[in-house]
Amino acid sequence: MEIVFIVISILTVLSSIMMIRSKKLVHSALYLAGAFIGTAGLFMLLEAEFLAWVQILVYVGAVVTLILFTIMLTRKGEEE
Amino acid sequence: MLFLAMWTGDIMFENTYELIVFILNFIGIYDPIYNVFEMFGLEYLLRIIIVLAEIAALFVFILLTVMFLTWMERKVVAMVQARYGPMVTGPRGLLQPVMDGVKLIGKEDIIPAKADRWVFTLAPFLIFIPALLVFIPLPFGESLIISDLNVGLLYIIAISAISPIAILMAGWASNNKYSLMGAIRAVAQDISYTIPLALAAISVVLLTGSLSTVDIVTAQSGTWFGFIPKWFIFLQPLGFILFLIASIAEMGRIPFDFQESESELVAGFFTEYSGMKFAMFFLAEYAHLFSVSAIVVTLFLGGWSVPFLSSIPATFAVLIPIISLAAFVIKTYVIIFFAMWLRDTVPRMRIDQLLNIGWKIMIPLALLNLLATAILLTAGVF
Repeated sequence: MEIVFIVISILTVLSSIMMIRSKKLVHSALYLAGAFIGTAGLFMLLEAEFLAWVQILVYVGAVVTLILFTIMLTRKGEEE
Repeated sequence: MLFLAMWTGDIMFENTYELIVFILNFIGIYDPIYNVFEMFGLEYLLRIIIVLAEIAALFVFILLTVMFLTWMERKVVAMVQARYGPMVTGPRGLLQPVMDGVKLIGKEDIIPAKADRWVFTLAPFLIFIPALLVFIPLPFGESLIISDLNVGLLYIIAISAISPIAILMAGWASNNKYSLMGAIRAVAQDISYTIPLALAAISVVLLTGSLSTVDIVTAQSGTWFGFIPKWFIFLQPLGFILFLIASIAEMGRIPFDFQESESELVAGFFTEYSGMKFAMFFLAEYAHLFSVSAIVVTLFLGGWSVPFLSSIPATFAVLIPIISLAAFVIKTYVIIFFAMWLRDTVPRMRIDQLLNIGWKIMIPLALLNLLATAILLTAGVF
């Protein structure tokens, strides 16, 4: 159980760091989705199943999608 | 022993894992195998092996279903257009999907020069994962379910909310304006139609008081007055219609297929894909068609329950899992056939019409349906 916790935490933290460091906005948004999924995994380990799936539905399904959508609708010069 | 227990109706397995263990026990090989694993202190390995076997069986089932569905789709189109469809390979062209698969594997794997390599390569796999994961809480028959999650329906909605990200990844990474347009359309459609979908599903949850798919199916067994099956389609006719339309829109099939409308966008978000990656999109699309139809059946058409099963004589009770599986598959194929029929007879809508119907008609109607259900439930009518 502890190994699973360590692996998920490392993935979450790494994708958060990559989110800040990556040059392209779209990549940042995708790493953000990774961080959210990792957080849902942590909730799952705490046996909060409902919270985990709501996290995926609201944050990954809606928030990240809307962020990506907004990035793609804006002009490309601002993307780099 | 197995027959006797089935006869008295005592056996009710929670999932396929328990069913497999029971069958292994019945043949008498579970204990020897378990002892061998116990000798090395690896009991958990046996559990993992059984779960992996289940997943492999599910994967094979999905692949076969997809192959059959592609053949069926062509045959249905051909029937509507008064021609034969594939006839050359195998009996009635039944081996055509195999030839298609061989052709797709043999094709060159092209990555456009200006594409974002990593995102471009990851997208087809990411789109396949949710299509596969949705099958986990689907009850295929009595005790034929991989895992009965107590948040099953929420899980299904949450998992299918991930696929727009994969679509956006594919459309953006191709670095092609048609792909991007297709992806943006697909996601706009997905977001606006998930809301009536979830609202219609919530009305069913109100009726059963549970998010677990098994509980929803169990609540629909039996009949009213001895001849009307207790399916939720009779309690929720509006909810059923809304759910069906919204799920066809989510699948992106023809009256709503803006993501890949050939006359406008070449092939939408997978224009640039070839070979095996294209096959992954294809696979995910048809797996999605099957899973969405199965969810419609589970929520509104009684799932695996057969209304008059209780009148079957006890000697045939052994057959209940098989009968229930057959009932589930037949009902699912009826819905699939409906979707294919719709595809062949209805022309494509316009994107503004689609969004207008989604936001101005379907969401208010779904809210009204939810409100009416809640009021009737509080008044004690149901």
